[in-house]
Amino acid sequence: MIEVKEPKRIPFVGMLQGMFTVFKHLFKKPITVQYPEEKAYTPPRFKFRIFLSMDDCVGCTLCEQVCPNLSIRMIVVERNNPHNKRNLYPQVNFGTCTVCRNCEEICPTEAIYLTHELETARTRNNFFYSPQELEKTEEEVKK
Amino acid sequence: MNILLRLQLFFQITGHYASYFLAYIFETIFFLIFVFVSLIAMIYLFRKYMARLQLRYGPNRVGKFGSLQLIADAIKLVGKESILPKLRDDFAYKTAPYIVFIGLVVGFILIPYGDFYWIGSLTITHSDVSLILFFGAIAMMPIGEILAGISSHNKYALLGAMRGVAKDVSFEVPMMLSAIALVMMDSAVNKTPLEFSSLVSTQFIPFGILQPLGLFVFMVAMIARSSYTPFDLSESDSEIVSGYSTEYSGMRFGLFYMGMFGSIFLGSLVISLLYLGGYNGPYSSYAGFIYLLIKGLIMVLISFLIWLSMPRIRIDRFVNFGWKILLPIAIINLIWAGFLTLGVIS
Repeated sequence: MIEVKEPKRIPFVGMLQGMFTVFKHLFKKPITVQYPEEKAYTPPRFKFRIFLSMDDCVGCTLCEQVCPNLSIRMIVVERNNPHNKRNLYPQVNFGTCTVCRNCEEICPTEAIYLTHELETARTRNNFFYSPQELEKTEEEVKK
Repeated sequence: MNILLRLQLFFQITGHYASYFLAYIFETIFFLIFVFVSLIAMIYLFRKYMARLQLRYGPNRVGKFGSLQLIADAIKLVGKESILPKLRDDFAYKTAPYIVFIGLVVGFILIPYGDFYWIGSLTITHSDVSLILFFGAIAMMPIGEILAGISSHNKYALLGAMRGVAKDVSFEVPMMLSAIALVMMDSAVNKTPLEFSSLVSTQFIPFGILQPLGLFVFMVAMIARSSYTPFDLSESDSEIVSGYSTEYSGMRFGLFYMGMFGSIFLGSLVISLLYLGGYNGPYSSYAGFIYLLIKGLIMVLISFLIWLSMPRIRIDRFVNFGWKILLPIAIINLIWAGFLTLGVIS
């Protein structure tokens, strides 16, 4: 059996060192972010909410096919758009969206893209964004 | 001139006996208000201080700088349902929190608060043996804790109470011994060495400088008596839940909580009285109370710092620390105090 010799320690010195370390924090600024008033820093590459330009959408249903969580469903919206004869537009459920950005990658006309908006809190069972809502910013959707 | 005589002069129109009666009643009311306000201020201070040491903001939503947070919490505690265990020992269960709180209040009564501008002396009770009475009063608090533990009919509460007893027994003795050293020093000069105010009046040099070992022992014992970290053995989340106060809820728990915070403040006041010169200072015949308060607050902040930076220690180490380290130190301090006393006499 190997005996490890511990270094001889002076009693209470370690405790005092620990207390001093804790005491030094008194003169530091709190790191808390007071959320609704202050916003935490979000990196420029951080994207969350899907935005849809209905004029560019051609109704190809590629985004629906590529979505791994079946968050995107195509629904019919009567709208005068010469590129989109079938009137199919994506409807997104943000309750299941994991922000994989596959829809943004696959969209042939860049109609779908992700924006920096992240505060999409809504009432329960109401995570569905219709194509008209996807076209607006979050402030307008809340109204 | 003390506060009682001031009040008696104020009520003199009502006649001799009635004026004294009213003066006593109003003094009691003022005192209870003082205790409650100081406890609330204490808890607010603790939460703010703890938050700053942990790089947080602490309460800042209710009122300016969160100053009304404690009142909101108190209202919440009063409004909570008081859940009673079915197999409780009813009378003991219900009186236990009050015993703890009354012990605390009696401890506060016996402290000499010094002078405060034109009001004069703020001391409430005058007694020749206030030191012994004080130790008697704070010895009342463990009785409440034990009653709470046993009457809850809960294994964890009982274990917590037993551990609390072990703590109290092993730290009462060094505390008393270090207090005896002070009484020895004082008895060479004064005729009433068992009184707080005579102990304070002899401190031209604070006893904390003359007896640093005694200060250390008394402070550690006081922390242990107030049962907060690192000596909060009567509670631990994974083994005995919350100790003797496991089964308590609502305002009864609030009384236990206030008892703990109050005993921190009380202990700090006593340490500053016995070892740091108490209400002595320049112009202390006018502002003695302020000196006492400042010294007490500094001691409170140091004890909070200890609370925040130390882990809880194991029970066997803790009891060993009380009997094998603090007790010999206290005895060495007693011998040292004997030498000092001989020097004073000769």
